[in-house]
Amino acid sequence: MLTYILRRILYLIPMLLVITFLVYLGLELMPGDAIDFMASPDTIAMMSPEDLDNLRETLGLNDPFLVRYFKWLGQIFQGNFGYSLSTGVAIKDIVFDRLPATLELAAIALVFSSLIGSILGVISALKRGSIADNVLSIAGMIGVSIPQFFFGLIAILLFALQLKWFPHGGRTLPGYETFLDRLPHLILPSLVMSMTMTAGVMRYARTSMLDSMNKDFIKTARSKGIPEWRVNLVHGLRVALTPVVVLIGFRLPMLIGGAVVIEQIFQWPGIGSEFVGAVRSQNVPLVMMISLLSVTAVLLASVIVDIVTALLDPRVKLD
Amino acid sequence: MKNDVVLSVKNLKTFFYTNQRCNKAVNGVSFDIKRGKTLCIVGESGCGKSVTATSIMRLLPKLSRIEEGEIVYHSSKGDIRLDTLKKNGKEMRQIRGSEIAMIFQDPMTSLNPVYTVGFQVIENLKNHRKMSKKAAKSEAIRLLKDMGIPLPEQRVDEYPHQYSGGMRQRAMIAMAMSCNPKVLIADEPTTALDVTIQAQIFELMDKLKKENDTAVMMITHDMGVVAEMADDVAVMYMGNVVETGSVDQVLRKPSHPYTRALLESIPVLGRGKNQVIEPIRGVTPDPFDRPEGCQFGPRCDYYCDKCKTMPDEITIDGHMVRCWNYKEVLKDA
Amino acid sequence: MEKSVVYKRKTKLDKKMDKLRVLEESGALKNQKKVNRYLRKFKNNKLAVAGVIVFIIILILCFAAPLFTKYDPGAIDVLNRLQEPSKSHILGTDKLGRDVFTRILYGGRVSIVVGLGSALGAAAIGVSLGCYAGYKGGFLDNVIMRISELMMSFPRIILVLLLVTIVGQSLNNLLIIFICTGWASMYRMARAQMLSLREEEYVQALKAFGINDFVIAFKHMLPNALGPIAVNITLSTAMFILQETSLSYLGLGVPLDISTWGNILNAAQDLRILRECYWMWLPVGIIISLFVLSVNFIGDGLRDSTDPTQQG
Repeated sequence: MLTYILRRILYLIPMLLVITFLVYLGLELMPGDAIDFMASPDTIAMMSPEDLDNLRETLGLNDPFLVRYFKWLGQIFQGNFGYSLSTGVAIKDIVFDRLPATLELAAIALVFSSLIGSILGVISALKRGSIADNVLSIAGMIGVSIPQFFFGLIAILLFALQLKWFPHGGRTLPGYETFLDRLPHLILPSLVMSMTMTAGVMRYARTSMLDSMNKDFIKTARSKGIPEWRVNLVHGLRVALTPVVVLIGFRLPMLIGGAVVIEQIFQWPGIGSEFVGAVRSQNVPLVMMISLLSVTAVLLASVIVDIVTALLDPRVKLD
Repeated sequence: MKNDVVLSVKNLKTFFYTNQRCNKAVNGVSFDIKRGKTLCIVGESGCGKSVTATSIMRLLPKLSRIEEGEIVYHSSKGDIRLDTLKKNGKEMRQIRGSEIAMIFQDPMTSLNPVYTVGFQVIENLKNHRKMSKKAAKSEAIRLLKDMGIPLPEQRVDEYPHQYSGGMRQRAMIAMAMSCNPKVLIADEPTTALDVTIQAQIFELMDKLKKENDTAVMMITHDMGVVAEMADDVAVMYMGNVVETGSVDQVLRKPSHPYTRALLESIPVLGRGKNQVIEPIRGVTPDPFDRPEGCQFGPRCDYYCDKCKTMPDEITIDGHMVRCWNYKEVLKDA
Repeated sequence: MEKSVVYKRKTKLDKKMDKLRVLEESGALKNQKKVNRYLRKFKNNKLAVAGVIVFIIILILCFAAPLFTKYDPGAIDVLNRLQEPSKSHILGTDKLGRDVFTRILYGGRVSIVVGLGSALGAAAIGVSLGCYAGYKGGFLDNVIMRISELMMSFPRIILVLLLVTIVGQSLNNLLIIFICTGWASMYRMARAQMLSLREEEYVQALKAFGINDFVIAFKHMLPNALGPIAVNITLSTAMFILQETSLSYLGLGVPLDISTWGNILNAAQDLRILRECYWMWLPVGIIISLFVLSVNFIGDGLRDSTDPTQQG
């Protein structure tokens, strides 16, 4: 198992290299002086021209392209993600400041959509053709057809503005910092964010479960006289899970992408809304860095999904 | 004699209601399965042999049901009408797997790929008997060993995809025999295996039958298997049993035109290249467009007007045939 | 001894089966017309048919817009701004006094063209690549496969916005960006189809005849894969329309001077508008949802009817 994990991670390295290369290319093509985003504006303001030249040397800005790329890569590993063009704040600080908020949303949305989607999908499959199944199927269709942010707008109008059950935005209020205090703020955004994913998981879980229950080994299980609930859960569900896990892994980019718009609507102080701001102000370094981070996140998450798949299905070759 | 017959099927009719049509897959089938003997049910694909087996086990899919007939299981506690039990009720489930067990055609797809073989054998054991985990595991190992699987202590924790084809079928048999059933139903158990493995599996089944006095119902389309394994034979065609009897009676003195035609269409090893092989003329009718009366009529050399009504079951000396003209068939043999 | 006789309860299913049996035995079911299987399956799928109807209605409304509304979508009438729905403006007016209903109809044209155009463009590239590379295999296939994996690791919206930052916002740019980010999944799907078709015997036969690879891949194998491809194009259209809406809502999609469904929704960023001027965003959202829903129904219907394992 360990070798499998290591192999999967090693497989990522060439991908990451290519992506970082492309990102650096984008940064290079951007008009302006590279030093503006690679060093803090405050520091630059206080430097003399000779010091500036020295700084350029250290950062490798006078070297040929490939060397520059690797030195830039080195900087990334040391934690220097560059500086925001509009605010001059270190990108690393921006990211770490805002990351928890987005992770919160993404984690809840992921767990919620996987669990609820799977459960509803399985119920739908087991009660195929019933009213519950038809209702859930149509609900699922609607769920993947409504633009996620539109659903968010309706949710805000209904639950926040009209019914006043939840606040309509923001993550916390000053002075109210504990998790319980923040919970009302969390509920609407995370529910909206998980909507499309839940509908997708539900439809796929239904298909997967129906497939699984049609297989020969279900007949064998029944022929042993075991109770029907055990046939459904231990045999049917267990085998139906693997494709669903694979699907969830496949849809992870979508989930993370959803954060971009949802954070805007709910004024959630996360990386998504920061990204939108960066695009609007043409803040290329920030845009690039956040893109890089999101891809890395997706790739790492997909390794985890692969591990879970290997745990679930003994047929996956582990060597 | 009552003691001998373990399972009697009387006039079983099972209809399928898929695609908004009514398909009379089994349309009046009767036979007996005797203790310690093998009954081979033989016929072409689609004649209803597997459906008969699934009907007995009450494993029919949702859009089908037993229309008429009786399935009587002569258990040690008395006669039980299997057709009237609730399909997944406690009583039927108790019988399934421990008193009447079934093995299927393709062991690769019939075993759950995500659980070890040991798990699946133990599942059957623990479902019907109270056993500790340790006792169940050692029983599973013993069963695998009895079925001829080498290194059972290791194999019990392995997955089906790590077994070979023949081993998988042995594991299935181990699973089915784990609670010492009185009846073992085998649905074409070797069709998916090599011929050499086939011989091994049949040897195994024969041994089990003799050691445990199990009644075996073997479904096959291969007359060679019948000649090899059967004590009794039932020949099926388009949902009816057309002839039954001991293997001697049916194979040496076939009284039904279909049985005779079947036997004549098989090449025999050793008869040489100039032997006469007669394919059966015509084609199997569409189940939704059946001929009137005897189903074999359009393809039969002995067809006469009387055949427009379904022949009765005529039994002489334990040899049953459904043909008005059986006397001619016997004369021509 | 009959110990366990359970009276056979006649369930609903039982009664249905009884009826069928009577019908069959009377011979009533024997002569069913053998209509084209695909058409029959599609017709039986009521949702798909409903989808087609809604789709056509919206299509007509948008592309024959002048028949349904007399206003000009860009006509600014500041005196009449933020009006509630009334007889002269069935869906009211927006911040600049433009008729909302008109903007929805004309905006639909752009949104639908963007969605469909992107789907077709992505399909053109993805299917061609997948077809040829999937059939040939080897180095080319490997390289394109890695590239597609790379692209699919990016959250779609982030990749699109990244490109928008670099090349700037415009309708044409958006189309190109959509196509460039969308071909990867089409490619994967076409490639998967090719991989399974590659083993068919007629392919071996064609190769033995010495027929050119291109011809084999495109003229002989591709038509067999058209079913899933058509389904994918339909579902992609839905996805692209949703994408355009999200981007334009943020103001980062189609430039705001061209009306699209997403741009109309852009106004709803303001909480006040959200709360008080429902006519400005609610109808658009509903139309978008209905349109995408109908496209999804059609796609599902296509998938069900071209899938040979599904019963008719």
